[in-house]
Order: sequence, then C-alpha cells, then structure tokens
Amino acid sequence: MPPPLDTRLSFENLRRRFGRLSVLEGVSGEVGPGELLLVTGPNGSGKSTLLRCLAGLLAPDRGTIQYREDDRVLETDERRRRVGYVAPDLALYSELTAAENLEFFARLRRTGPEWGLEVLRRLELPTDRMAGALSSGMRQRLRWGWAMLHRPRLLLLDEPFQNLDAPGEAATRGLLYEHLDQGGLAVVANPSSLEIERVTHRIELGR
Amino acid sequence: MSPIASSWAAEVAAVFVKEWRCEFRTRYALNTLALFAFTTLVVTSVSLGPMGIAKAQGSAVLPVLLWLILLFSVAAGLPRAFVQEEESQTATALRLAATPSALFCGKLLYCLTLVMALELLVTPVFLTLMSLGVESPGLLAAVLAAGGYGLAVGSTLVAAIIAQARTKGTLFSVLSFPVLLPLLLLVVELTRTAVAGGIGDMGSTAGVVLPQLLLYDASVSVAGLMLFPVVWNP
Amino acid sequence: MKTLLAWLLWLWIALVIWAAFFYAPGAAENFQVPTSYRILFFHVPMAWASFAGFIGSAVWSVLYLRSRNPRHDLAAAAAIQLGLLFGVLATVTGAVWARIEWGLYWNWDPRQTSLLVSLLFYGAYLALRGAVDDPEKRARLAAAYAILGLVVTPFLYWIVPRITFSLHPEPVVNAEGKSQMSSDISRVLLASSVGFTALFFWMHNLQTRLLVLAERKSAGGDQGYGA
Repeated sequence: MPPPLDTRLSFENLRRRFGRLSVLEGVSGEVGPGELLLVTGPNGSGKSTLLRCLAGLLAPDRGTIQYREDDRVLETDERRRRVGYVAPDLALYSELTAAENLEFFARLRRTGPEWGLEVLRRLELPTDRMAGALSSGMRQRLRWGWAMLHRPRLLLLDEPFQNLDAPGEAATRGLLYEHLDQGGLAVVANPSSLEIERVTHRIELGR
Repeated sequence: MSPIASSWAAEVAAVFVKEWRCEFRTRYALNTLALFAFTTLVVTSVSLGPMGIAKAQGSAVLPVLLWLILLFSVAAGLPRAFVQEEESQTATALRLAATPSALFCGKLLYCLTLVMALELLVTPVFLTLMSLGVESPGLLAAVLAAGGYGLAVGSTLVAAIIAQARTKGTLFSVLSFPVLLPLLLLVVELTRTAVAGGIGDMGSTAGVVLPQLLLYDASVSVAGLMLFPVVWNP
Repeated sequence: MKTLLAWLLWLWIALVIWAAFFYAPGAAENFQVPTSYRILFFHVPMAWASFAGFIGSAVWSVLYLRSRNPRHDLAAAAAIQLGLLFGVLATVTGAVWARIEWGLYWNWDPRQTSLLVSLLFYGAYLALRGAVDDPEKRARLAAAYAILGLVVTPFLYWIVPRITFSLHPEPVVNAEGKSQMSSDISRVLLASSVGFTALFFWMHNLQTRLLVLAERKSAGGDQGYGA
C-alpha cells in the first residue's frame, strides 16, 4: 500500500431511523491515518447501521460523511468502492471457489487477486473449495480476504472476529494491526468482550 | 482503447462470465426457462393444434401466442438475475465492488443471451407444432433479435427494481407488463407481417414499425443505464 | 389567501356545472345522440387531469432524484394517486358515453386503450410503493419506475392508433375543435378544463400534505419534510 498522504474519515450528526425506530441519533466521529475508532453499544444500538452508512450501503436521513484521500474528498460512490468491509451479512458466491470469487471481484475492482490470495494463504484458507462448502469460520476468513483485496485505506469491520478460532483471530488481528501500522484507518464494531488494544477513539451508541 | 475504457469492458465481461459460470453450475435459470417455455408451448399447441387453425386466422393469432410464451418464460426465469443477489446476500459485495453501469451491462448481456437461447429453442418448435409457415424469415429473425433485446433490457431493469421489494414474484409481472406492452404490440405486429408477408395489418409496413421497435430498444437502454445506478445504490 | 382560492375554485366548478346544463345548447351536431354530448364537459377534462398526473409524477420523480427531498417523492405519489382517480372516472364516463353514442361500453378505441394502459401503470407504481418498507428505498425505486413509465408511454401514442379503429370524434375533441364545435360548447369545455386542472392541483396539494403528515406520524417525529 502506498504511504497514505492524508486519509481521513469524519462524520457528523448522523441520523437514521427505520419506521418508528430511531437507530442513529446524531452520531459524530472521526478517524485518521493509523487510527482505530471503536464503536461500542448493546445489541440494536445502531453499530451495524453506522458502519453501513459509512460504507455507503445505507443513506443516513441526516448528517454528513466526509472521506478524503490525498486531500480530495470522495463522493459516496467512490467511497463505497474504496472501503474494505467485513460484516456478518456479507456473502460471496457459493457456486464459486474462494479463488474464483477473489478473481471475479479483483476484475471488478480493476486490480489483481494476488494480495487477496496472499491474505487467504496467511489465514490458511484453501482457495479451491466452493465458498458454499466452507464452515462459518472459514467464511469469515474469506470475508477478510475479500475485504483486503484492493488494499483499502479504510477498513470498516462489523464483528470482524466472529466465528474465528484462536489462530484465526490472531491472524486477522495481525492483519488489522499491520494495516494500521501502514497508516490505514479502521472503524470497528465489536459487540463481544474482546479487548482491542490500539483503540484511538471510541464511540458509545445506545440509550 | 484507453486503459479506463478497457477496464470498464473488462468489468462487464467479468460480470457476464460470472453469471454464466454460476448458471452452468446450478442450471437454475436455464431449467426454469426451458421448462416453463415447453410447458406453455405444449399446452398451447395441444389446445389449438388439433383443431387446425385456418391460415388467415393463424397468422393473426399465433404470433401473439409465440410472444406470450416468450414473455411469460422471461418473467419466470429472468428476475432471478437480481433477486438471487439480494436473497443470497451477495448484493452487498457487488454494491461495494462494481461500477453500476458495468454491472447493468454485464447482467443485461447475460439476460440477453438467455432470451436468445430461449427464442432459438421455442420458435422452431412453435412453428413446427403449429404448422405455421413464414413468408419472410429474414424479418422474423430481425424481430426476434430486436424484440428479444427489448424484452431483455426492460426485464433487467424491472428485475433490479423489484429485487429490493417484497412480493417479488407477482410484482415483477405487475411492473413489467405496462413497460413491455408497447414492445409486445410492436413485435406482434411485425411478426404477423413476417408470417403473412407483404403489408401487415392496417396498412403499416415493416419499414415504419421496425424503426419504432429499434427506437424503443434504444430508449429503454438509455433509461436503464441512467436509472440503474439510482435503483442499485442508495 | 388559500381559503379564498379554494372558494373561488368551488365557485368556478359550480359555474361550469351550471353552464354545462343551462348555458350550453341542448343538442349538438356531429354526435350520434346530440343531447348526450354534455358528458364531454367532464369526461375530457378528467382524461387530461389523469394525464397531468402521469406527467407530474415523472417531473416530481426527477426532482426527487436530484434533491432527495422526501416531499418531492410524496408529491410524485400524490400525482399518481390522483391520476388514477381521474383516470378511473374518465374511463367510466367514457364507457357510459360510448354505450350511448355507439352502443358498446368498450371499443378498443385508441384513447380508451391508452387510458386503460396508463391505469395499469398507475396501479403498478402504487403496488411498488406498497412493497417497499424503507422510505428512502421506496422513494428512489418509485421515482425510477415513474421515469421509466414516461419513457415508454409515448410509444403507445404512436402504436395504438395504428392498430385500433378510432370511434373518438377526432375533429370535435381535439385542441382545434373550435372550428367544428359551436363557440358556446367550446367555451364551456375550456372553462371546465381550466376548472379541472385547478381542481387537480388543489387536490394534489392537499394529498401531498396528507402524505407528508402520514409519513411524519409513522416515523414519530419531524423528518425534514417541513421545507
């Protein structure tokens, strides 16, 4: 990953409701190079919703999100394609192998699959198995490989260590720290009681 | 070709290849289309065939039936192109990785090849079972091509819309019919002309109607390219 | 001010109704059943109002996609709802008149057919809205469909007249009908058209405000619809 000159994510006063339920009520925050923003809160407090808004998968009702790379503010469409996103509801094609999945998405992202495959090698995921035949822990590793494929500067991680065994968790955490060391940004929502060192900022959601 | 343009084309190709690769491994769409088409075909020909429609009536009625078979087969098998993405939750990954226009064109190409395959399968069998002679096969081929494209592009866009709604099955038919009706009227008119030869109903000629069909195709294509990003992303 | 305009509108419509029955002549030439022509004063403007609903929904849909202001989306929905209402009324009055004039309720005449197809479209649009829960998603999907509908419908105006046989009295019921109709009749028709157009916009304004309030209520608070 090229040394990031100035990559910064900031969001202000985000609001989102679903029907009567107000899930985000004026959430603000920011994160810069090498920083990790931890989002905490009980179930249903809007952590996933916040990450979806930051990823561009959901439009907030109110508020602004500003993501800059190299002193240029990216539009939502651009931001959406630049982030690396891990979430429980993200699935890849079960009729394709892990390698085929990464190759397909690499072509969409106009890059090569090498780094994604390298990540999978590090996570010890066999790439020739159908994605549909993977266990839940292996699927989580595949999600990481997919998310890192295009060497994103911003990682949005929703339950990133879900279903992983101890070695898997250690390996993915290593990837995250490496990302931060290289100047990347990360926003993490982790409802479990896992400790994450290196937390720079914290947001607490919930009533 | 400049690097960026070839990458867009490469994206389209990647989507197209992925669709067919997944399709070959599951055969879902092909099976649905073929099964539906043949069932409708058999029902139609068994009800009509033995009575032996008079040539004059046949050239008026049978083109309608052909296109209805194609239309309903498409409605049975095509929406899956987008509905499946939403249901298996692969749409999220696509939203984050793909350029909307490339995705639309890739899906469109896939749907187009499905429709063409369907037409290739259905038309000869239909013509044979109904003993329907065709005066201008060239015109018929042109109508099937342009009309098939119209079916594909309209259905692809509507499929993208309903994939994000509830009650997708019925909703596709409800939404696509008003959009596809002009197309159907045009292709039926042209098919009747191709079957009967010479000038079609009400004094219209292929020279007048075929350009309208092409214009419809072009209009819906442009509308699709412009509206798909809005439909696909928030 | 608004109340004054509303009263003026009602007065105008009342005048039109009076004129239709008492000012306009008892019978008109160019019609099979000359005394039945009065329905024209209501049927034609209602058909145009329905059409206005269709165009309006596309316009508001484009506005919505540019501004992402939920009010524009609800205005589009209101336009379709009213388009459907006026369209059904126009179809029914048209069918009644057709029965009297030509003996059949339905004739597959191009205008009848086009009106029917647009009713299908309105129904489809409203069905789509009913099938999406999230307001933001509903708004942009509906907007896209409305615009698609507008792109596709002009083709019907070329195709349908070619394939159907027209019973609609063309020389009488077009914009230049004045040369064929007596000036009294055309005056009342014009007044009725103005009245119905104004009625459409008045109802549209009311309906949009109703939809905004309903949306606000179901969301339990201000959603930025105020502006």
